[in-house]
Amino acid sequence: MPFHTKRLSRYAILAGLLCWATSLEAVSTAPYRLAEEPLFGLPVTNSMVMSWVISLLIVVGVRVLVKRPKLIPGAGQAFVEDVLGGIRGIMEPIVGKALIGKVFPLLIGLFVFILIQNWSGLLPGVGAFGYKDAAGNITYWMRPGNADLNMTLALALVSSVGAWTYFVLRYAGPKALLYDLFGNKADRNEIPRPIYLFLFPLFFMVGIIEVVSIVFRPVSLSFRLFGNVFGGENLLVNMNEMASWIFPVPFYMLEILIGGVQALVFTLLTAVYIGLICNHGDEEEHAH
Amino acid sequence: MIEVLAAVEGNIHHGLQAAFGCAAAAIGVGMVGMKAVESVGRNPGASGKILVQSILGMALAEAVAFYALFLGR
Repeated sequence: MPFHTKRLSRYAILAGLLCWATSLEAVSTAPYRLAEEPLFGLPVTNSMVMSWVISLLIVVGVRVLVKRPKLIPGAGQAFVEDVLGGIRGIMEPIVGKALIGKVFPLLIGLFVFILIQNWSGLLPGVGAFGYKDAAGNITYWMRPGNADLNMTLALALVSSVGAWTYFVLRYAGPKALLYDLFGNKADRNEIPRPIYLFLFPLFFMVGIIEVVSIVFRPVSLSFRLFGNVFGGENLLVNMNEMASWIFPVPFYMLEILIGGVQALVFTLLTAVYIGLICNHGDEEEHAH
Repeated sequence: MIEVLAAVEGNIHHGLQAAFGCAAAAIGVGMVGMKAVESVGRNPGASGKILVQSILGMALAEAVAFYALFLGR
């Protein structure tokens, strides 16, 4: 009997915790409009202003750190070079040696922008002040730009539609692209003739599935980034609600980690999508 | 009883959908992490390459959670 009561009380505590957790507040997905009147036909939202500020900070920050590039770098230039070199080292085997010089500006731009954008949610004041709307959701006056689906969708369209199409058509060509999607990749000399012919429709079907997955790339890229950043904001709000002191600190650490990982993931996936089509010659050289 | 069940189901399916989607994604991410740790243990020299591959695998598995959360309403 004592065992049962102990167990019951444990369940009761768990249920109480659950009720408490479900009664916590949610952050609104809608952005806060700074101006009632649209500017040049576009509404100005807090996410937009945040991303402008971040872009300015990156430009000014790199200018201040590097000043004028020297052969023997100072501390600031060494830091920037270290970041660039590290990212380049990760991306080079994926995109291929031939293309890395051309793709790298895009990749480092995406990485730094998304990284600083993610971490901007941890600044004091960002995601801290706001008001509650009719449904009880909090709308913040300042919040990280990536907690807005419009922003991540724009980033995903730039990286996986615009840049992908440009690099693939420019450096691989439409013929290589079509062969890569629909072509018969079996070796003609090693496989008997009827099976080889039978493989044509098979590879065509595989190509159609591939096209569907390519079409869904912007969706998954943007949702992943949005979900992580927005979910992180929500998590921090709820943890601060539960206990304001000490308790949220580990979650801030988690957010630092997630911000870095998601920036890396976005950049890596962009590199992989480009490298999948463009990076063939490199591999064969290594293999033989 | 059946009415009660129907009422519960009518309210709960959004939550259930998100829960199952996230659970599946979590299992996928966990499996990728498990195998990545295993392979680093076997070949510590390849940890850099394995990190990249495993982050990619985790990202692709994680996308399922966001499909379940946002797309299937």
